[in-house]
This record gives sequence, C-alpha cells and structure tokens, in this order.
Amino acid sequence: MMRKFGGVAGYLAVLALISVAAAAQQPEVEHQKTPSSPAERADVTRPQITFTRDIAPVLFHSCVPCHRPGEAAPFSLLSYSDAKTHARQIAAVTEKRFMPPWLPEPDDPQFADDLRLPAEQIALLRAWIDQGAVEGRASDLPRKPQFVEGWQLGKPDVIVKATKAFELPAGGSDTYWNFVFRSPVDGERWLKAIEIRPGDKRLVHHANVLVDHGQTARLQENPPGSGFGGMDLTIESEVFDPDSHFLFWKPGSAPYVEPDGMAIRLDKDTDLVLNTHLQPSGKPETLQPSLGLYFTDKPATLHPILLQMENDRLLDIPPGEANFVVGDDFTLPVDVDLLAIYPHAHYLGKDLRAVATLPDGTRESLIHIARWDLNWQAVYRYVSPINLPKGTTISMRFTYDNSVENIRNPNHPPQRVGAGNRASDEMAHLWLQVLPKDSQGAAADPRALIQEAMARHNLQKNPNDFEAHYNLGALLQIRGEVAESAAHFAQAVRIRPEDATANNALGAALLGAGRSGEAILYLSAALRARPDYFDGHYNLGNALASQGDFPGALVHFQAAVRLSPQDANAEANLGSALAETGNISEARLHYERALKLNPAHELARENLQQLNQNDTTRPRN
Amino acid sequence: MGRGTQTFALRTLIFATLLGFCLWVPLVSTSQGQATATNLSGVAVDPLKGTRGKVVVLLFVRTDCPISNRYSTTIQHLSIQHVGKAAFWLVYPDRAESAEMIHKHVQDFGYQLPALRDPQHALVRQSHVRITPEAAVFDADHRLVYHGRIDNLYQDFGRTRTVATTHELDDAIRAAIDGKTLQSDSVPAVGCYISDLE
Repeated sequence: MMRKFGGVAGYLAVLALISVAAAAQQPEVEHQKTPSSPAERADVTRPQITFTRDIAPVLFHSCVPCHRPGEAAPFSLLSYSDAKTHARQIAAVTEKRFMPPWLPEPDDPQFADDLRLPAEQIALLRAWIDQGAVEGRASDLPRKPQFVEGWQLGKPDVIVKATKAFELPAGGSDTYWNFVFRSPVDGERWLKAIEIRPGDKRLVHHANVLVDHGQTARLQENPPGSGFGGMDLTIESEVFDPDSHFLFWKPGSAPYVEPDGMAIRLDKDTDLVLNTHLQPSGKPETLQPSLGLYFTDKPATLHPILLQMENDRLLDIPPGEANFVVGDDFTLPVDVDLLAIYPHAHYLGKDLRAVATLPDGTRESLIHIARWDLNWQAVYRYVSPINLPKGTTISMRFTYDNSVENIRNPNHPPQRVGAGNRASDEMAHLWLQVLPKDSQGAAADPRALIQEAMARHNLQKNPNDFEAHYNLGALLQIRGEVAESAAHFAQAVRIRPEDATANNALGAALLGAGRSGEAILYLSAALRARPDYFDGHYNLGNALASQGDFPGALVHFQAAVRLSPQDANAEANLGSALAETGNISEARLHYERALKLNPAHELARENLQQLNQNDTTRPRN
Repeated sequence: MGRGTQTFALRTLIFATLLGFCLWVPLVSTSQGQATATNLSGVAVDPLKGTRGKVVVLLFVRTDCPISNRYSTTIQHLSIQHVGKAAFWLVYPDRAESAEMIHKHVQDFGYQLPALRDPQHALVRQSHVRITPEAAVFDADHRLVYHGRIDNLYQDFGRTRTVATTHELDDAIRAAIDGKTLQSDSVPAVGCYISDLE
C-alpha cells in the first residue's frame, strides 16, 4: 500500500523578474522654453512686487516643501532673508525649469503632485528681482505652511532600520546602494503604507522599495546584512505576486497611502529592499535609512499589476548617434485602469514617450518627457485613472543620445552602449501600474491573462527570453496545460542550463506528467546548482518516492524539513518516507508536527490514522 | 581684537611697506570700516600681500551652496598638487556666514586651507567673480590672470557630466606658475550668485 505524497503544484508559480530602476540631471537648457523673452517677462513697470504679498505664496507652495530646515534642499526659503540671498539663483533655476523638478510635458495627462511652475509665476520672480527684491508689508505675509515633523504619517506600527550604515565617500560620481530590511513580522500582515526615511535627505536623490517575497536580493550581500551596490536590481519571485505597487521616495514627496483594498502583503519571509541613488556632498557621510510600516486589517481586494514594457535587446547604440530610437508595443488582453507610470532610461536617454492607441484608433498620450533626466526620475500617478479597454496598444518610444553633445554621456569619447544594470549601460523600460477591470465570471484571473500576453509578446521579440519562457511555463502549468508548460520550462533550461529555479520547474512539470525518471535528472541539476534549495529537495523527494526509492526520498525530505521547519507538507511527506522505510515512531512524530502546523492537513491525518489503526510498520493503502 | 593690537598692526604694515619687505605672513589692516577680508579671528587679511613671487589662488565658496560643496575634494586635491608653488585661500563672501559657521564648514569638509570672510566683497571685486564656486588666479606679480569655473563638471544647473573633461583652474595655475599666457582668462562658472549677497 503506497502512502500518499503531497503534490508539487503548490511550489510552482510565476517567476516575476522585476528589474526596477533605482535610480538619477537636467533639462536641455538651450531647448527650454523660458519666460525670459521681453514679451514673456513680467512688466517691471507693474505695481511694486513684494516678497510678503507676491513671492512668499509661490515659494511656500512650490519650494519650501524641500527648501526648509531638515529637508533635502541645500538652503531654506522660508523667510525674506532666505529668499533675497538666493534671489537671482531662484530666478535662474526657475527660468531654466531646473526647479521645481518636473519632467513631464504640460500637455500630458494630469499627474498628482504636479510641480510645474506656471510661466507667469516664473516671470513674477524675475520681475521681483528686477524691482529690487523688496520685502513689503509684514501684514501681507501669508501664514507659513505647517509641516509635520518626524514621521509624516504619524507614528508607524513598526520601524525597521538598516542593519548596517553605508559610508558615502566625500567626492566622486553618484552612488547607488541597496539596503535589505528583514521582515519584522511572524505571519501574514497587510500594509497600507511604507514611509521611507532615507537618512540625510540632502544625500538621497531618490529611493525605491522593492518587495522581495523570495529573499533573493539578499544573496548579493557580502557579508549578510551589509547591503550591496547597483543602480538596477533584479528581484525573483517564485509565487504569482499580486503585490504590484510603486513604493517611491523623492525629495519633497509625501508618503503614499495605498487606496482601500490595495494593501501590500508582508510575511515573515518578505524582505524590503531599499534601492537608493546617492550624491556625494563634498564630505564623508553616513547613511542608515529606516522604513516606517503602517498596517491595516483590510487585506488586498484589488490587485493591480506592474507591466514592464521594454526593448533592451535593441539597445546597441553606436558612438556618435544622437537619435537612437527604441520602441515596444503591447496590446492589452483585458480592460484595465492605468493608475501610474514610471519611465526609465539611464544617462543617454533623451526623449521618452508613451502613447495608447485605443481600439477605435484614438491616440492618447500617457506621458512625454522631452528632456529626460535620470536624476529626477519619478513615478507619476494619474489624478484620474486612465481607462484602457481590451485591445488597446500601448507604445513606448525612447530616444537616446550617444554623441559628445550629450554632456551626461558617461563615456569620453562616446562608446558603443548596450543594455545592462550599470550606470554606464542603458535601459529602455516603461513600467505601468494597471488595475484589471472587474471580471466577475471570467474563467481566468485577468492578471494571469496579462502576464501570459506579456510573456508571449516578449517571446515574439526575443525567442531566447529566459524570463518569458519561465513565466509562460508557470502560467500554463497553473492552467493545467502540462505539455506546453514543460516545453517552455525546457526552453528556459536550454537558455540557462545551470539555473536552479528553471531546472526545478521543469523537473516538477515532468513529475506532474508522470515522467519521474526524467524529472529526477532536472531536480538533481537544480540541487547541484543550489544545494540548500527547499523546493528542489521537496520535489526530488517526491520523484524518488514515486519510483519507490524511499531511502533516497527520505534524505531529501529531511533536507526540506531542515530548510523549512514550518512547512506542513514537507513534514507530512517526511512522515510517509519514514513509514515506508520502517521507522514508524519517527513517522508518527512528523505526521503530528504536520498536523500541528496545519490541523487541516488531510494527508497527514489520514496516514497517521492508518498508522494508529494498523499498529504495523506498513499502514494500509 | 583690541585697539592696542590694531595700533601695533598699523605700525607693522607701514614699516613693511616702507622697507619693501616681502612679508609672507598675512597682514592686518588699519580699519574695520575699510573693505577688507578677514580671517576667522576677525583680523583683516590681504592674501595678495606678503606672497609676491608666488601664485595665489582664491576659491570663492559658500557653506550652503551645493555645487561649491561638491567641489571640496577637487579644491583640496588641487591645493596639494600645487603645494609650495601656489597659495590657496578659501573665500566666503556671504556676510551672513559667521566665523563659527565657516570654521565648522572647513572642518566638516576636510579643508586644509586658510579661510577668509569677505563680507564687503573686496576680494570679490578684485577677482571679478560672480559665482560660488569660482576661482581667481593671480600670477607671481599678483596680476589677475584667470577667474571662472574650476572645471566643466557643471554645464548648467542640473546639467552635470559624470566626470569633468576640461580643467580650467588647473590649467590656469600651471600657466601662472610657468609664466605662460592663457588662451582664455575667464570661463563662466555655474553655481550660486554672489550678487544675491549684496
């Protein structure tokens, strides 16, 4: 009588490779429209412009969120004295639209927190200076804006601090550093917000939190807890992850509270990776960021998804080329609401544009950045979600300048540049946060349909796209299409023969198809690549058990339990392997542990009952 | 500084001038009302006096100017590179920056250079500078031979190269030391406007 072994399907799902840019200089000044022409300049003969009546309201609204003590900007603009001692600088940087920093063109859809200063306000600042930067009557001064000190969202439920500070050198070029925060919770919790306190805000140009459910980023830490460098990073997830949120910090930005129903899942194995872009200040600095976690009792009911459009494969930019264009076009398989957008390129990026072509042929600009500046990259959230019906084609067109005219060009003289994570490499990425429309009655999860469409789209662009093969294999496996699933996993293994995850997935798919002999080959390969791989041990234990090799299975279930002592399935299967090899008392112990971990574990209960009823070394079938 | 010290300084100055001595110590001025720079003790100092025969480099900086702060390592490096051949001075033109603030700034940024306050912009005018950071180079005869940017790292506000590809200040110092003429005696700097401080 054979004992039942837990299956493999629960250990497979989508590998979502998330390469979110970290990362950061400034508009092409000579191409900027400024109000400095005589026609646009404010009339200096106008009534006396004063700080208290005319200028303070502009500064209070648009500048002091950053230009105040303790914030990111290098000086305060709260008082007349502050403003006067920087008056010409204020005029210069606003006329050149260096400040306030805002990249999207004014004809784009309306974004939240739009920092763009109206031309008449820029002219007003210049006219004030031309008139002698007069202070004005104290009674005209509006009330100074009130800011919350400390945590902007109030005291967090939990504060996590980076385990090791980062020492930022005094000089040199910009630095990109990643801090890995270990989960502070024991079980599943839901977050309505993560407030990022990056440390000295003068040093941090921007920061991103990436939710790493698989603890994969920490593998780059040496020693553990030290963090690691890198502008862009890849987070692998072996589960289909609904927690698709932009968690972005830039100077002056308020922490974002997720809307009701869109909480972020946090569990005990979740790392939060803070990717930071740092600028040397001229003296050695120390940075040790914190995250404030705000919990909610309301689990996620709305599941947005992050779509990554890209065409890095076409990034092969010859030296001297000033207008190298890369594009991608993706057609939506379901109706969605577009919530936010995040374009990303490095230092050669010049003009970044995204357009939606609706099924009726209507074209709608989603974003246009005519003077890309890595340093001021940001996530842009739409004031009102943009409805994009099924069949809408989203098109990205990014233009790159690899000539000497591009002063940010990291190579002197310009060199051929391809895709990569280093600052000197390039990227052509467009991230979109979409919320699939309510699809009650639909046979499939709309997120899975989007992922599948994206994977097939990526394979059309690049038949050797490892992530696309893997993701498609996982999605097809969930849908029960075993043969096609195994074929895509096999392609993934062909592309990366040493990849533990892909070998495990292929082995598990073959095991599910009853081809345990072949499965053992790939599962063994997975464990050669990653000896402490829980999924590999668990699945190989199952494969060996299915062939009757219970001593062999026993070894791998023991390893699985050692690697993941809280896994009820591993405990139950270890119990079964022990029973099959005649160790009844040990088997009973592990069945009981499985039931303690999961009182509803059918297999453990059934097998334990058989042991107790038979009181023999071989329970009934 | 007490009156007695001022009187003594006055005599020293006159004596030195009359005898034509090339004093290598900073000289103290006669009057607090006169437009002069001072050291952090409040003593008036003219960095061009007492160093004849030696190139003098003035670096105009401001404690709250992020661009001049980012140049601290470059400034320090240049001063080490030309030690013995050029006398470097930091000059702070913001009258709102007290000696204490400047002292802390010098310490925080690791400068090993003497610092001067120039609240009345005597050195600013003498050097024809408009920006922080901006450099002024005086040759061995103390003629102004260059004023302008340190290098081309900053093209404009927010338009920054990853590394500088031209090094105007270094070129100017070398030319001044070698007694050569520069092609350009001024290249506009990018940073914070000194005129805002008037």
